[in-house]
Amino acid sequence: MVRTNGLKKHFKDPKTGIKKAVDGIDIEAKPGRIFGLLGVNGAGKTTVLRMLSTVIKPTAGSAEVNGLDVVADAQRVRASIGFMSNSTALYGRLTSREVIQYFGTLYGMDDARLAERMNYVLDKLEIHEFADRLCDKLSTGQKQRVSIARTILHDPPVLFFDEPTAGLDVVTSQTVMEFIEEARDLGKTVIFSTHIMSEVDRLCDDIAVIHDGIVVASGSPDTMRQVTEEKSLERAFLQLVKFQASYVSTRKASE
Amino acid sequence: MNDTFKITRKELKEMMRDKRVRFGAFIMPIFLVLMMVQLFGFIIGAAKGAVKSTVYIVGAQADLSKTFSSAGMSIKTVPTTEDGIKLIKDDKAKLVLAFKSAMTDGQVQIEAYYDPKQQMAQLALSGVQQALSLENKKALAETLREKLIPETAAEHIKLIPKPVEVGSKGAGELIVGFLPYLIVLFAFSGGMSMAADMVAGEKDKNTLETLLITPVGRNQIVLGKVLALAVVCFLSSFSCVVGLLLASVLKLPGSEEMFKNGFGVTPIAAGTIILLQLPMVAMFASILIAISSYARNPREAQTYLALVNFVVILPAVFSQVIGLTDLGSKLWINAVPVLNSANNIRNALLGKTDWLAVAITFGVSAVLALIGIWIAVFLFNREEVLIRI
Repeated sequence: MVRTNGLKKHFKDPKTGIKKAVDGIDIEAKPGRIFGLLGVNGAGKTTVLRMLSTVIKPTAGSAEVNGLDVVADAQRVRASIGFMSNSTALYGRLTSREVIQYFGTLYGMDDARLAERMNYVLDKLEIHEFADRLCDKLSTGQKQRVSIARTILHDPPVLFFDEPTAGLDVVTSQTVMEFIEEARDLGKTVIFSTHIMSEVDRLCDDIAVIHDGIVVASGSPDTMRQVTEEKSLERAFLQLVKFQASYVSTRKASE
Repeated sequence: MNDTFKITRKELKEMMRDKRVRFGAFIMPIFLVLMMVQLFGFIIGAAKGAVKSTVYIVGAQADLSKTFSSAGMSIKTVPTTEDGIKLIKDDKAKLVLAFKSAMTDGQVQIEAYYDPKQQMAQLALSGVQQALSLENKKALAETLREKLIPETAAEHIKLIPKPVEVGSKGAGELIVGFLPYLIVLFAFSGGMSMAADMVAGEKDKNTLETLLITPVGRNQIVLGKVLALAVVCFLSSFSCVVGLLLASVLKLPGSEEMFKNGFGVTPIAAGTIILLQLPMVAMFASILIAISSYARNPREAQTYLALVNFVVILPAVFSQVIGLTDLGSKLWINAVPVLNSANNIRNALLGKTDWLAVAITFGVSAVLALIGIWIAVFLFNREEVLIRI
């Protein structure tokens, strides 16, 4: 379970003063379901995920991940999450096996458990054939598989995906999406950030549309269509974002 | 295994697989020392050769020709002074001696023609002057003996140089001149090539975020990185001593001149060097990681590192000429970072280790290393390490 309550993150910007990247967000993601965070670039999706993964601290509000407070129990929160982004974030001069093993040790796995989980992920993601090749020498698809292996190695109950398919070809995107579906079927809490509506339609059980750091709509994809009276989720999303944009400009003008 | 060491081990594994590190931090210092030994050896050999070089003579006296020959110079004759000068102008002769006819008082005058802009010609001239000075002394002593005057009459005051052996037998003066400089230089630059990649580079490749999401604390991550970089800085710095040892063992051309006193780096000197290196590399590694943590990306980090490099180079360069002043023996010099380490390494190589100075230097470097580590930890713990607007 992941829950936020009035979550805010404000940055000091030397040029514009305070930048409100996230300005009071309430969301709830449940186990065995995929929660989609939708928004255009710069909407605040990544900042929310960074707060949930304890990389940055909230300015105000609170957040719980797997029943743990992201500020008070940061280390235990980190032990219970897996995080994957569009960047494979692998060490080029280490082999696939070494990268996976390295992260396993950082997650405090003992030798026996690590060996067992290593075998599982290498089999599951068919990494064996290139396990001893340097990451710099891998294809994008192979890198993404290693990245998935690194994310799930410690079998975390909560998984975050920050635009995991951005820049990937169709085949690799398919692998990533199948993996996300499998994580849901295993009862994990999944938060999936994207702006690709076809993926939302396929994967997400619940969604929240974020714009300018606030949630402008939430519910199931069908609810979004009903609220906006649009047949396609893409058009529904655009309508919500445009409405918010005009709302923000009106508010700024009145201020 | 402690999380810090897990980070250190992975960083070291990655660095050792990087050609830049293998070449810049380990091969380069060894290669540079081997080159310097050869170069200095060649220069000293050439300078000695110049003293015993070929001397061109016009109208020679047989006795004096023998004097030059016995001093190791080879003699060639030229018909006229003009021919000799032409040889100098054509760069075929360094020194031409034109013998004049004997004066009424018996003095033989010799005109020495040479190009004052050529150091080799000056060295050849000084060789001739030494040979003639000995000849003059002999002649004077004989005259005095004939007139029954004691020989000491010609030398009212005689200076007798008596070298005093201070400390143990040390390294040759050329080694003392350049080795401390290289040790200090590579303690910094050996780690410089990788420092930009270690934090700023991880930001750029998005691996830092992945690392920060693990349960390992940020303090442990940054300390692991500092430790790994310090190991590389240390090994790079010590590679200079390894290079010197190689030059000594391989007996490369030129090494005879450099190793007149043997290898010169005694076990005590080596131990002192290591003792001084430890806090120094910790200080350098923490500064390098602090800069890398502050910078937005590797390019920005490299710009800062290039500037800081000058701060290290200047005192290191001064350590090469500190022997020309008496500053090296002052106690306060041990409070000057970098210079203190280089100066104490120099003294250790000379076999004159001053343990109080070593202790002060160790303390100063250790305190600065702790401050550097504190800054690196502080910068790495800021949110801006990942997101800097």
